[in-house]
Amino acid sequence: MELGPIWRAILRNKSSYALIALQIAVTMAIMVNAIAIIQERATQMARPSGTDEDNIITLTSVAFVPDADMRTMIDEDLALLRGMPGVRDAIATNSFPLRSGGWSMSLSTEPGPNSDGIGTAIYFSDEHAIETFGTNLVAGENFAADEITWNNREVSTWPATGILTRALAEELFPEETGSLVGKTVFINENDPVKIVGIVDRLQAPWNGWERVENSMLVPSRRDGEFQRYVIRTEPGMRDEMIPRIEAALAANKDRIIENVRSMTEVRERSYTGDSAMITMLTFIVSLLTVITGLGIVGLASFSVSRRTRQIGVRRALGATRPEIMRYFMIENFLISSVGIITGGILAVALNIYMVQEFALTPLAWYVVPIAMVILWLVGQAAVAGPARRASGISPSIATRSI
Amino acid sequence: MLQMNNVSKIYRTDTVETHALREFSLKVEEGEFVSVTGPSGSGKTTFLNIAGLLEDLSSGTYELDGRDISKLNDRERSKVRNEKIGFIFQSFNLIPELNIFDNVDVPLRYRGFKAPERRKRIEESLELVGLASRLEHMPAQLSGGQQQRVAIARALAGEPRFLLADEPTGNLDTNMADSVMDLLGEINSTGTTIIMVTHELTLATRANRNIFVRDGSVSDGPGDLQLAAVAG
Repeated sequence: MELGPIWRAILRNKSSYALIALQIAVTMAIMVNAIAIIQERATQMARPSGTDEDNIITLTSVAFVPDADMRTMIDEDLALLRGMPGVRDAIATNSFPLRSGGWSMSLSTEPGPNSDGIGTAIYFSDEHAIETFGTNLVAGENFAADEITWNNREVSTWPATGILTRALAEELFPEETGSLVGKTVFINENDPVKIVGIVDRLQAPWNGWERVENSMLVPSRRDGEFQRYVIRTEPGMRDEMIPRIEAALAANKDRIIENVRSMTEVRERSYTGDSAMITMLTFIVSLLTVITGLGIVGLASFSVSRRTRQIGVRRALGATRPEIMRYFMIENFLISSVGIITGGILAVALNIYMVQEFALTPLAWYVVPIAMVILWLVGQAAVAGPARRASGISPSIATRSI
Repeated sequence: MLQMNNVSKIYRTDTVETHALREFSLKVEEGEFVSVTGPSGSGKTTFLNIAGLLEDLSSGTYELDGRDISKLNDRERSKVRNEKIGFIFQSFNLIPELNIFDNVDVPLRYRGFKAPERRKRIEESLELVGLASRLEHMPAQLSGGQQQRVAIARALAGEPRFLLADEPTGNLDTNMADSVMDLLGEINSTGTTIIMVTHELTLATRANRNIFVRDGSVSDGPGDLQLAAVAG
């Protein structure tokens, strides 16, 4: 290996190589942090909502007839939906996971205005909610049909029971090791809510919320003009049920049905911004990597042209073609290493700044090594062409008068 | 040691065919100091390139140390160049980014010698050419004569049996040229075979034998006659 002489030769021509090393360093810093952001977004997007997404349909019913009997309409709709072949269960609710809009409240373990509350999403529904969402009841029991109440803007009392997600229950009672079923929490400062059940997971409607895993099912239905129905079909029947359900509900001319979407579509819409961010960052990183690769090709080509005679001399002195190729590969490896190591330090520094300023997740330990390997491979691939050209230079160049 | 029989070298382009060597035959014995003279374009450098395995021949046979060179692949030819042949070029051809030590080190690394062996050979060869104190100097810090001495040290460090010199004094003034020729004479006296291409007949007289090349062939007459004239 000619590491020593090649390194010393590089040091004697620092200015020629500094720019490409800087370019590699900047690419490295941006690549690492872009990967970190992509990874964070991808991880967020991969989180399960806690629902049987493959078999769920959501839609909005908007009644426009003045003084419509909403309670009757909702009961009839639910009876219709639940009775349809292919429908496993259905609920009317104010919102659902990934919808991006909903109702949040604060729960605390002590009554009163000064107690520290824990934020949670509220899903108003009935005893069919667990089956419809497809979440798992891991402790306690479901609501009974006779405890479901109606409420609206004028009714401000809260039902006395609730089913919480495990994440919410554990955040409310972090020290508790036993069952949390039967505990009482307070909503609206002083209204007690007894925990009757705990479900494994049911995300809040807002995917970017830091407490997205906190939600509470409430045994109460709201009788407003805007109703959101969540329908769970038998496995594999979702897509064929969408037009049937829409047609069945549309038979009632006192309202319009809109936003009929599969849960898959709801998820896609919910993460549109994240998807776009991932696409954009992937494009930028790819472009930067290609530009850096082209820079290396350019520098290596120039280097080969400038040193044609020197290469001929080396060949005359006994270098084989692979040895000439190896020379340029090693030279590029060393220059790239300077850029990559500098870029690695820059990347970590930039990540620390972004973690502090923008609450980005800290870099996973393997991101920097992976980016290093990628850039080393890009560098070696980029220099391979010029190096191969160099290895083809005839040793007879050494005796020519240039 | 070196034997060429009816060697021809033809350079071809789409429209032109140039015969650089025609039926070129030559035998050089071990330990000889042979000068090759001839007018510009006569084929001296082509002969040197073929003798030094820098170029392929078009036809004929070439044996070096009893080996048929035409049967060697590129890697084997590189190995022969590295182990058996030392090159001295008109324009020195030192690598400008490397210091004197690293320049002499270049062929030794390709030879695969370990670091202590390389260091010993580099120091000895630079000692031989009187530049042992300049190990860390860069080529640009040396005079032309000194650079050529470094090139000679580089050629000798691998202890080749065969030294090929292409106009070794072409870029040197008279004093430096004499000094380099004295050095080549000393090297030859230790048993190293030298073939030197030159257009200066006065330098050619320093060789044991002169080959005069004209139109790509060894000419029968003018070589020794011209040398005799110069010497006389």
